Amino acid sequence: MAKPAAQPPGAHRPSAILDTLKRLGFGAAIAVPDGWLGEILVRIEQEPTIRLVRATHEEEALAVACGTRLGGLRTAMFVQNAGVLSMGAGMVSLAQRYQFPLLMLVSYRGTLEDPVFYHAPKGRVTEPVFKGFGLAYARTDRNRPIGVQVEEAATFAEEASCPFALLLSREDVQW
Amino acid sequence: MVNAARPSRADYYKVLADTLPANALVVTSLGNASYLWAAMHHAPENFYIEDAMGLALPLALGLAIAQPERPVIVVEGDGAVLMHLGALVTVGAVAPDNLTVLLIQNGVHAASGGQALTNAALDLAELARSTGIARATNVATPQAFASAIGSAPAGRGAQVLVLSTEPDVEVVRPPIALDPVLTKHRFMAAIGAPRYVPTMFGGGRLVSE
Repeated sequence: MAKPAAQPPGAHRPSAILDTLKRLGFGAAIAVPDGWLGEILVRIEQEPTIRLVRATHEEEALAVACGTRLGGLRTAMFVQNAGVLSMGAGMVSLAQRYQFPLLMLVSYRGTLEDPVFYHAPKGRVTEPVFKGFGLAYARTDRNRPIGVQVEEAATFAEEASCPFALLLSREDVQW
Repeated sequence: MVNAARPSRADYYKVLADTLPANALVVTSLGNASYLWAAMHHAPENFYIEDAMGLALPLALGLAIAQPERPVIVVEGDGAVLMHLGALVTVGAVAPDNLTVLLIQNGVHAASGGQALTNAALDLAELARSTGIARATNVATPQAFASAIGSAPAGRGAQVLVLSTEPDVEVVRPPIALDPVLTKHRFMAAIGAPRYVPTMFGGGRLVSE
C-alpha cells in the first residue's frame, strides 16, 4: 500500500480531511450541524462518492451511521462534542454493544481557542464523559498533518471494531 | 390510529412472512418486535435490535442507503418512534424508495410492561405525511396490511404503514441467541457486505469478496 503524500507545512487541514476520507474509500458521512463543520459538509455534499446524510440529532445520526456501516459502507460522522454527550445511550447500547467501526470526527468546542464562551461547560466535561462511555478517542496534534491522524483514527475504528472519536480543533475542520 | 378490536403483532407478522420479498432485509426493534419475529421467521437477513430504543428506524434508514437494491423493512413501535421523531423527518428528507416502515401502534410501551405512552392517540400516518412521506397509511387489519404492503409503487420515497395492534406485554422467548456481534456478522455475511482488509501500516480498505 503506497503511503499518502506528505502534506506541506501550512496545508489546508479541512481539505486534507476530505481528501483522506476519499482516499480511504469512505462512502457515507452522517452529520449534525455545528458552526465549525458547516462548510466541510457542503464540500462533502458535492462529492459523488460520499453520501451525506443530515440527521436531526446526534444519537439518531449514530444509528444511521451504524446502518450504513452494517450495509457495507465505510462511514464517518461529523458532529460537535456536545452531540457526543447527548448520544450516550445509543453509543453504549448500539454502537459499542454491536461493535460498529465508526470514524467520529468531532469538533472540540469549548477549548481555549473557541471564542464562543457558552461552549466552555461542554468542553470541560467532554473527555471525562468520553472516558465514562468507554469511547476511544484522541485529540489532534496541530504539529502533525491532519490526514494521517484521520487515517490512524479510521484504522483504529476498523481494527478494534468500535467507534473512535477524533477531537478536532477549529483549524482542523473549519473550512 | 388505535381502534377497539385490534389484531395481534403475530397476525401482522404472519402476513409479513408470507409476503416478504426473497431479497428483503428486516430490522426489528427491541422486545417482542425482535423476539417474535425471530420465533416466526428467523433468517440471516434479519437484524435484531435489543435495547437501543428508538434507534431501529434510523439504523434501517442507513441500511437502506447502503443497500439501495434491496427492500429494507423495519418494525418499530409507537413508543420507540416517539423517542426519536426526528428520525421520521430524516426519512422524509432522504426519501429512500426501498424502505418500508412498519409502526406497531399498540398505545403502550409494551417492552417495559405496558406503561402508558405520552400520547397514545396520535395519528402517526398523518405525522409521517407531514414529514414528506407521501405513502403513509393507517392499517387496522391483516388483510389491509397485505394489500398495502403488496401494492407499494416504487419511486416515491419510503412507505410507512401504521399497524393498529393489541399490546403484547408477555415476553416471547426467542428461539435463538440474540448475541449482538453474532447477529451483526451473520447479517453482513448474508448480504455479502465488504470486509475490512487491514494492512500493517494503516491504509486498510473495505473489500468485496
